[in-house]
Amino acid sequence: MDLESNYEIAPTAEFIQSNKFTRVALQFPDELLKDAVRVVSALRAKLRTLRESNAEQNDDAPEVGLFVMADTAYGSCCVDEVGASHVDADAVVHYGHTCLSPTSTLPAFFVFGKTPISVPDCVKNLSHYAFPNGRRVLVLFGLDYAHSIQNIREKFAEVCGAESKPEVQYANVICSVMNPSKGRKVSNKVQGTSGSLTDNNSFGTVSANTYSIGGLVWKLPEGHKMDDYLLFWIGSNNSAFANIVLTYNGCEIVRYDASECSMVTDLSQQRKILKRRYYLMEKAKDANIVGILVGTLGVAGYLNMIHQMKVLITGAGKKVYTLVMGRPNPAKLANFPECDIFIYVSCAQTALLDSKEYLAPVITPFEAMLAFNRGCQWTGEYVMEFRDLINSSPVESRNFSEEARFSFLQGGYVEDFDPQGNGTEEDKEGALALANATEKVLQLRDNPNSIVKGTAKSGAEFLATRSYQGLDIHYDGSLPEPYFIGRSGRAAGYEDEKNGHEKS
Amino acid sequence: MVKFTAEELRRIMDYKHNIRNMSVIAHVDHGKSTLTDSLVAAAGIIAQEVAGDVRMTDTRADEAERGITIKSTGISLYYEMTDEALKSYKGERNGNEYLINLIDSPGHVDFSSEVTAALRITDGALVVVDCIEGVCVQTETVLRQALGERIRPVLTVNKMDRCFLELQVDGEEAYQTFQRVIENANVIMATYEDPLLGDVQVYPEKGTVAFSAGLHGWAFTLTNFAKMYASKFGVDESKMMERLWGENYFDPATKKWTSKNTGSATCKRGFVQFCYEPIKQIINTCMNDQKDKLWPMLTKLGVTMKSDEKELMGKGLMKRVMQTWLPASSALLEMMIFHLPSPSTAQRYRVENLYEGPLDDQYANAIRNCDPEGPLMLYVSKMIPASDKGRFFAFGRVFAGKVQTGLKVRIMGPNFVPGEKKDLYVKNVQRTVIWMGKKQETVEDVPCGNTVALVGLDQFITKNATLTNEKEVDAHPIRAMKFSVSPVVRVAVQCKVASDLPKLVEGLKRLAKSDPMVVCSIEESGEHIIAGAGELHLEICLKDLQDDFMGGAEIIKSDPVVSFRETVLEKSSRTVMSKSPNKHNRLYMEARPLEEGLPEAIDDGRIGPRDDPKIRSKILAEEFGWDKDLAKKIWCFGPETTGPNMVVDMCKGVQYLNEIKDSVVAGFQWASKEGALAEENMRGICFEVCDVVLHADAIHRGGGQVIPTARRVIYASQLTAKPRLLEPVYLVEIQAPEQALGGIYSVLNQKRGHVFEEMQRPGTPLYNIKAYLPVIESFGFSGQLRASTSGQAFPQCVFDHWEMMSSDPLETGSQASQLVTDIRKRKGLKEQMTPLSEFEDKL
Repeated sequence: MDLESNYEIAPTAEFIQSNKFTRVALQFPDELLKDAVRVVSALRAKLRTLRESNAEQNDDAPEVGLFVMADTAYGSCCVDEVGASHVDADAVVHYGHTCLSPTSTLPAFFVFGKTPISVPDCVKNLSHYAFPNGRRVLVLFGLDYAHSIQNIREKFAEVCGAESKPEVQYANVICSVMNPSKGRKVSNKVQGTSGSLTDNNSFGTVSANTYSIGGLVWKLPEGHKMDDYLLFWIGSNNSAFANIVLTYNGCEIVRYDASECSMVTDLSQQRKILKRRYYLMEKAKDANIVGILVGTLGVAGYLNMIHQMKVLITGAGKKVYTLVMGRPNPAKLANFPECDIFIYVSCAQTALLDSKEYLAPVITPFEAMLAFNRGCQWTGEYVMEFRDLINSSPVESRNFSEEARFSFLQGGYVEDFDPQGNGTEEDKEGALALANATEKVLQLRDNPNSIVKGTAKSGAEFLATRSYQGLDIHYDGSLPEPYFIGRSGRAAGYEDEKNGHEKS
Repeated sequence: MVKFTAEELRRIMDYKHNIRNMSVIAHVDHGKSTLTDSLVAAAGIIAQEVAGDVRMTDTRADEAERGITIKSTGISLYYEMTDEALKSYKGERNGNEYLINLIDSPGHVDFSSEVTAALRITDGALVVVDCIEGVCVQTETVLRQALGERIRPVLTVNKMDRCFLELQVDGEEAYQTFQRVIENANVIMATYEDPLLGDVQVYPEKGTVAFSAGLHGWAFTLTNFAKMYASKFGVDESKMMERLWGENYFDPATKKWTSKNTGSATCKRGFVQFCYEPIKQIINTCMNDQKDKLWPMLTKLGVTMKSDEKELMGKGLMKRVMQTWLPASSALLEMMIFHLPSPSTAQRYRVENLYEGPLDDQYANAIRNCDPEGPLMLYVSKMIPASDKGRFFAFGRVFAGKVQTGLKVRIMGPNFVPGEKKDLYVKNVQRTVIWMGKKQETVEDVPCGNTVALVGLDQFITKNATLTNEKEVDAHPIRAMKFSVSPVVRVAVQCKVASDLPKLVEGLKRLAKSDPMVVCSIEESGEHIIAGAGELHLEICLKDLQDDFMGGAEIIKSDPVVSFRETVLEKSSRTVMSKSPNKHNRLYMEARPLEEGLPEAIDDGRIGPRDDPKIRSKILAEEFGWDKDLAKKIWCFGPETTGPNMVVDMCKGVQYLNEIKDSVVAGFQWASKEGALAEENMRGICFEVCDVVLHADAIHRGGGQVIPTARRVIYASQLTAKPRLLEPVYLVEIQAPEQALGGIYSVLNQKRGHVFEEMQRPGTPLYNIKAYLPVIESFGFSGQLRASTSGQAFPQCVFDHWEMMSSDPLETGSQASQLVTDIRKRKGLKEQMTPLSEFEDKL
């Protein structure tokens, strides 16, 4: 497939031209970076021809600045608005796989790419599932297959012919253009919780039988439930698919792998993920110190989510720290050994981190809500997008039974913070925290081996139990060392290094 | 027909010298529950006629069905002594009324945690031994447990009726059998003797041994007969008692006592002459319906029968006559009252076993003196399901003070640490309840020395706890119970309908409470796990879970799963090195197996992180041959900071080493919990830190760099030290007649078991077999054994030790590697083990 059509050069140029953007950031994921130069030159050429054709109208229009962005700080599926603002861009063109999470400030144009697919084979497989059992089928697909869905739809209708038509629903792609500023004007909802879209399709999983997930949207006939449908997924086994499997874990799901032209029906691995998440949720309940990882700076509403998480966690009597870092990895998170668990606030498709390699597990905001809200139970329902959580008020069912919390990790009741009545005591504790910590240090001097992870209630307490607490203040050498002048300059080339370079 | 009211009972509860708390313990099927019933019968809760047929203390349907006791049950009994009977009683007393709080416990080894819980709240134990089968493995286990808790035992040789009816043995032979039983029991008691408890051995001539027939409801001690004959021979009772046991012979022809059998036909042992023969005669007369002979004999014995009872025939008549002549209740109850300690006596020496805090504080003193006016000290030993679904009674013993309805109490859980708020609740007691058979009666308060059930605390107590008054903030808890069995058999459960999950969660919570031993946990893979002591235990737990605690919602259980341990066979073949993610730090380590016996010492808590380093290094140097200096360089134990693995610092002169210690420890805790083979716990591995190269800049040697590296290098050193799997092994004890031995051996062979002891029980046709059996092979073992020995062999399995599997898990196709693959598959891991090259780096 040629570059022009695969990267949708013409529509992109059209988008830039019509909106009169002058500085546009082109965001490439790592695997498409190799095409970046060609895309830029093709796009530039296209823009030039477009401008020339419109030249008589406004010939003083400046040339559009195109900037290539790579190595995004977070998941490459989200629009990197912070990166784009570094070059003062007024629009972003996003290439490759995307989660279509709404942006908060910049308009974005999405190019999904087009992966080849054998339409007849796909239709054959689809009819295999649609015909015999006469069940309702819902076709979902990876966004890179969006280009051939219309084709599949028509072919399938042909195959069915005049026969009793099996019920097959198709999802649609919401849009490929996102414009947050316009959306806010149209629907002035709660603090930008829904950066609405150009066609005003609201997000939210359920709104009058309209479902939406990962950029796909579909409408079910009145009275139909999702559980009645067999989900037919076209595409690879990626995070988007995992998202679908977890969210609709009550449905039967099959996957058509277009690159291998084969059906995959064994999803036990995915089901296992759900159980594993359940374990992590249980584990989170036992955590004393929680770290919130800011995993996005772009997805609309992330600040609200972080705030909500903080309220929730403090309400559960736990200590919370907010950490901002790029994409998390085991080495980064292990720098915070005091945290018993991390909550990763990010877009739906990067949220699931299989945290086996991590010292402390990483969970999603939804799991955190279940874990830290007394009375909430794991019902099997699973929500990935944190935007859906913001609306579902977390404090609805605070019918506290008196009962202490039972921990399945420890196999018994564990103490729990009592949100009522303990307020004053808590304040007092805050004031005395330092004193307590010091006292602990004194106690613990005798047996430095007693660092038990998960017993500390705050970072200060954790530090107090460590055997090494930073520089030794009782350093014996009483004479000060003579000072000497260090290096200065930037890491790319210190001043002393520069001199040497010039000399040579 | 309740003979006493709650008020009456409550009144006696204040007389702390007149209370006896005791448990009935024995091997399975030696007749505890039946014997208990005859005691309950005398206390008047059930009619005398049905005693022996209804097992009063087996309150559950499945207990009745299987004929075994599953849960221990407490009953309060009331017994009034006559002045005549008490005239030789030396101890303190308060009138003639006695209150006996009795706990009937299960005999099957799978439920021995119930026994532990029962022993904690009692001061004395009635040890029941089958006169034919003798002292069995479980008798020994429970006796050891009892003496460990400083519980004074008395013995009853049970199932006497078998001697008379079934085996028809003659007097001398019977005496020899009884003598042997008592001797065997005494050998065990002497082994676990405790200076504070004094002589705990039992002597028939001192009245601490009874002879009983639980099924027929009669029993006697030598006291009964001594009283009868004392006047006749004109000697005092104690003298008479001595003559009735041991090497004392009487010849009615010469009317002389000798210490040797004179050889004349009429010369018989005192016991045989005066105890055994008369009983035999009465029984035979009854069984043969020779009523004309019977009545004069009974009149001579001073036994009067009611007129309708005289109509009885055969066995019925015999039972009735024996019950009237030698009622089990009076013999046993009097023995308990005479020879078992009252709470005020017992707590004097038990306090140091019970109380964790300093033995001179007010709480220790209150316990020692059994002071009803002192601060409340109450130990909840188990939770009993109440009739309203989902709620539990907290059942326990008041050691000091009084507990009353409405009292605000401090609940100190098993993880409570004095001075902290962890595992601590302050709540109100809604009701205080005492047990009277199947009935529960609410009382205003219960003073120390008694057992009690509390309502309204169940939502804060998992299994056990110490309660004290709200204001007593400096009280230490009462020591947690130690169980003799460990939960090694596990099943994963899930609900059939996914939406039943909340029910399952609630059900597991209740199950965890209802049983002192069962552990309900969750696996990394998200599966709910129930762990129990054995197959039968799990079976009962699952049944309870589904029927009682989940309201019948269906559950699916997996096949039983056994957890393994990972260890190493040798020292690492080389020093391995791993680099940190930024390549600037290098850790060098070696792994080696811990010395034999050391992991066990760590398990027992003889060596642990909280020891005084001096004492620790002394033990390590003397018992395990460690270098004294090295013993001081133990960084930590793990997993969970107390496990049987350790990290030892062997480096010399490394800079910044103190900085990374915490990070290495964190990495070790993590790695030792999930070993490299199959993510099972490690056991018995010592990791030696050989060398460390660190970046000069602190930011580059932080936790983020060192923790993952420590984990990797630990895995690498494990893999280079010939890693092996350890499997849990049961000690199996089987008692069976000779003809069943062939079947037993063949089943054991099939199951990879091996017999290490085979012994004939002297005087019986029974053989005792001891064998080791891998736990993983034990599923279905008892069924198979019964099938191949036509039901003559009944095994008792207790977890004994971890045994190394000889095959190499790294060699593909070996048995161990197959096991590793299976475990990994079950846990949802990659089936292939991560290769060493992933963990080890090259310079």
